[in-house]
Amino acid sequence: MVGQAPLYEMLGIGNYLWRLIPANPILVRVVQAGGKRKRDLLIRCAYLGILLFLVIFLLLQSAGNLASASLSDLSKQSSEIFYYMSYAQLALVALLAPIFTAGAITQEKDSQTYDILLATPLTNGQIVLGSLLSRLFFVVTLLISGIPIFAITQIFGGVAISSITMSFLIACATAFVTGALAMAIAVFKVGTRRTIFSFYLFIMLYLAIPLALEKMGYFQYQWSFDSTGKAQTHISWFAGFHPFLALRVIFGEPAYRPPEAGMVQGYSWPWNWYLSSPQTFYITFMFLLSLVLVTPSIFMLRRLAQSTNTMRGWLMQKLHISTGDRTRKPRHVWANPIAWREAKTKASANRAVILRYGFMTAGLIAAIVLVVMSSTQKPADVYIGAGGYNPNDKTITIMENGAPSVYLLRDRPESGRAATKVQMGEKQLGIEDLREGMVITSYLPDSGAAKKILGTLNVAYPEMRLSEKATRQFLLGAVMIELAVILLILTQSAASTVTREKEDGTLDLLLSTPITSRYYVWGKLRGLVSFVLPLVAVPIVSVLIFVFHDMIRSTPWAAHPLPWTVFPEAILILPATLVMVSAFAAILGMQMSLRCRKTVVAVMSSVGIVAGVCGGLWVCGSGAAGSSVGAPGLIVGCFSPFTLMAILVNPLDVASSSFSENDSAEGRLLVFVFGWAAAALYAFVVWGMYKSMVRNFDMTIRKQST
Amino acid sequence: METVIKTVNLTKRYGSLVALSNLNLEIQEGDCFGYIGPNGAGKSTTIKILATLLQPTWGEARVCGYVVGYQSRMIRPLLGYVPDYFGAYEDMVVQEYLEFFAAAYNINGQQRTKVVNDVLELTDLAYKRDALVDSLSRGMKQRLSIARVLVHDPKVLLLDEPAGNLDPRARIEMRELLKELRRMGKTILISSHILPELADLCNKIGIIEQGELIYSGPVSDIIRRAKAGTVLQVGVATGQEQAAALLSQDPNVSEVVANNGYLQVSLKDGINDFSFVPQRLLAAGYRLTLLKEEEVNLETAFMRLTKGMVQ
Repeated sequence: MVGQAPLYEMLGIGNYLWRLIPANPILVRVVQAGGKRKRDLLIRCAYLGILLFLVIFLLLQSAGNLASASLSDLSKQSSEIFYYMSYAQLALVALLAPIFTAGAITQEKDSQTYDILLATPLTNGQIVLGSLLSRLFFVVTLLISGIPIFAITQIFGGVAISSITMSFLIACATAFVTGALAMAIAVFKVGTRRTIFSFYLFIMLYLAIPLALEKMGYFQYQWSFDSTGKAQTHISWFAGFHPFLALRVIFGEPAYRPPEAGMVQGYSWPWNWYLSSPQTFYITFMFLLSLVLVTPSIFMLRRLAQSTNTMRGWLMQKLHISTGDRTRKPRHVWANPIAWREAKTKASANRAVILRYGFMTAGLIAAIVLVVMSSTQKPADVYIGAGGYNPNDKTITIMENGAPSVYLLRDRPESGRAATKVQMGEKQLGIEDLREGMVITSYLPDSGAAKKILGTLNVAYPEMRLSEKATRQFLLGAVMIELAVILLILTQSAASTVTREKEDGTLDLLLSTPITSRYYVWGKLRGLVSFVLPLVAVPIVSVLIFVFHDMIRSTPWAAHPLPWTVFPEAILILPATLVMVSAFAAILGMQMSLRCRKTVVAVMSSVGIVAGVCGGLWVCGSGAAGSSVGAPGLIVGCFSPFTLMAILVNPLDVASSSFSENDSAEGRLLVFVFGWAAAALYAFVVWGMYKSMVRNFDMTIRKQST
Repeated sequence: METVIKTVNLTKRYGSLVALSNLNLEIQEGDCFGYIGPNGAGKSTTIKILATLLQPTWGEARVCGYVVGYQSRMIRPLLGYVPDYFGAYEDMVVQEYLEFFAAAYNINGQQRTKVVNDVLELTDLAYKRDALVDSLSRGMKQRLSIARVLVHDPKVLLLDEPAGNLDPRARIEMRELLKELRRMGKTILISSHILPELADLCNKIGIIEQGELIYSGPVSDIIRRAKAGTVLQVGVATGQEQAAALLSQDPNVSEVVANNGYLQVSLKDGINDFSFVPQRLLAAGYRLTLLKEEEVNLETAFMRLTKGMVQ
């Protein structure tokens, strides 16, 4: 008997672990049913199809070279295939994992089965891990199904098994942390159905922002691999936290190599690990983070399920965003109730209020910071002091390391001596053009003169903390992100607007009233556009701030006005374009919302279509505007919203063949005319889609009701 | 009396499933028509067609003379539809919810405020005007649904199980509200599974089973039709078994069954005069303690007329 106790305990633990994962009823049900779903099969086929297409495409591309290729060429080719496949795999996992795991967020809401599960003898661990792993099952099987395709890279060699393993582990860690985050949101009741979209947005921004910053050259650390310091490499500081940046490390690019362990011995753990091996740090960190997110869920599951208040509600009350009171003063309902509902009731929800004001505040702060940085001068050692050039006594005060010195200038040749020569780069200036604050790059006193008379003076405009070029780039980045976020918010709102009413039954109530399809669709469109108008104002106001700033700052430099940071006509073109593009995104989302029965399907397909259309137009527009064809390219570019924005904010970089510092009048005129033409075209497209939607509304709804 | 709702051979198919088959229904102005049938019989489909939400596969449905499908725009302002679920806009308060639907019926300005106040009073929800719709109890939500369909003062009300899942108090309140609406002259088509309440509320009943209307007419008529023959409840002080034997020998009696301390005496078809029963018992020296004709209620009628088959 004494010897049996440990055995019994071991069997008990074994049984617990067996039932925790391999025999977990929740997981077993999903695994058994998983292979039978048509949708899953199609996604799996599409995933493998994309990977196969990539391999075949890359092989065909180099087919001619392969015939006469050396072994080293073949292995190089193999590495290239692996490079692209790894990125494709990670991109697909990053895209699919949130879709498959986000469903967990609403499990509290869809509590019919959730409550039943909680009432069974299943342990918290079984429920949490069962839900998590069953949602990740599909993504993991996708990854496994891709292994044979990755094996192709082994035919030619050149790719280490460890690199393939790392690539899979990075994808797997990404999927796990996504799932664990969704589970934590669900268990801690911080989310609702609408949180699903915020969840997608968060994941996408998390993936996009560090990548963009890395592309722009920010947040990088550099290492030198030889004693001369020439063989420099740079790595993003985010590499240990970002799947794509971590993945890049495993390809061993010479310009993107982390320092070797010996080179970072001076750093304490875990910094030396983070710096020398960001890819392993990422994998370990993400699996640990998944564990950290899941563990409290396991301990708290039933306790949290018993509480009547949600954590979100509790937080809202603590932050004084919501009082928890279930009453409020009624608001005035517009004559078009559909538009009122879209514009007002959605906007007044706590989440929407935070989102709107947060977005507006962040956008305006970013614009103001940019203005301040672009208008604040870098401190110069030598510059023209207060008052600038004094024409009465023909003097200027030169401030050198804080000490003033007064010099005389000679405005015309006198006594056989030449007039003071004032140079700004290649350009010769008159002495009357000298202004307070101008930086003096060099000066030569007239050596033969008795008084302190300047013979030569080289000046430059004061250098700002942020250069003109950098300011434009940052402003463009800011307004583009703002536009992308606006379109995302609007598309998801529009895509869910009809499907939600179908799901909760309110559409039937509306359709039994005298509201016509025309009235309904118009109301929705108007309401959705009204809802995003305050957001659309953010990029416009950002640009407006710069235009005002340019107008004000040009005054003291009247003789040499600096070029506009943003051409002022931008504020005449942007409002019409942005409103029409928003209306386009809204009507596209509404079309999908009408056609789809499920909100998730409508949202995902609409976001995909809008992203595809805008991205496609951007690529084509940027290509055309940046080409050497000049005006025709510029005209084509105006019809892509993102390219138009780029042309308006940063024309010198985006459309260099049509704009130059000295001559941009024709380009500006074309952009003004065709910017408005683009707005008119979008309005026409929206009108056409609106008419088509009205015409097909009844038929589509009727078809769905049968 | 004007015919407000009329269907002629109304048929609705969902693929191979026949939800309604040649339904012929006629409801007059001011009628309160109880529409009963097993689950899946086609009640909600009929109501949805009349509410202009579904198109019939063939046949015709008319509301106030207008044809559903062709003249739906004329019908919608005339009817109020309450589905068997509560279509909730969770983010609205009660007054906004009603104003929202008033605006949908093109009621604006001062008139809207007045109408909303009136229906809130009528449905006894005025004190809840600032409450979020989502915070209301089920009974209140159902009253709010009724308030919603009253904002435009419709002629016809289509109510699909308005008392479903309500507690007894809420059900009684709902019944009183519907009686008040009937007094106001509304034509009501109501489907429900709570048959005693329908019998109390409605003047006409329609029974549908497997998409076919098996009865339509006054409540009293259906009860008469359901009545298979005269059944008496007879009680005697002593000698129940002997009394049963005595009555069963009578040529007018088809069956005598002892039931819960009294005798259930079924008379033969066509025999309505049951005066011979007390006469024979008293003559044989029995002391009569109970003599009552057994009533047929709507539930009994429904059970007798339907076969309990669903599609």
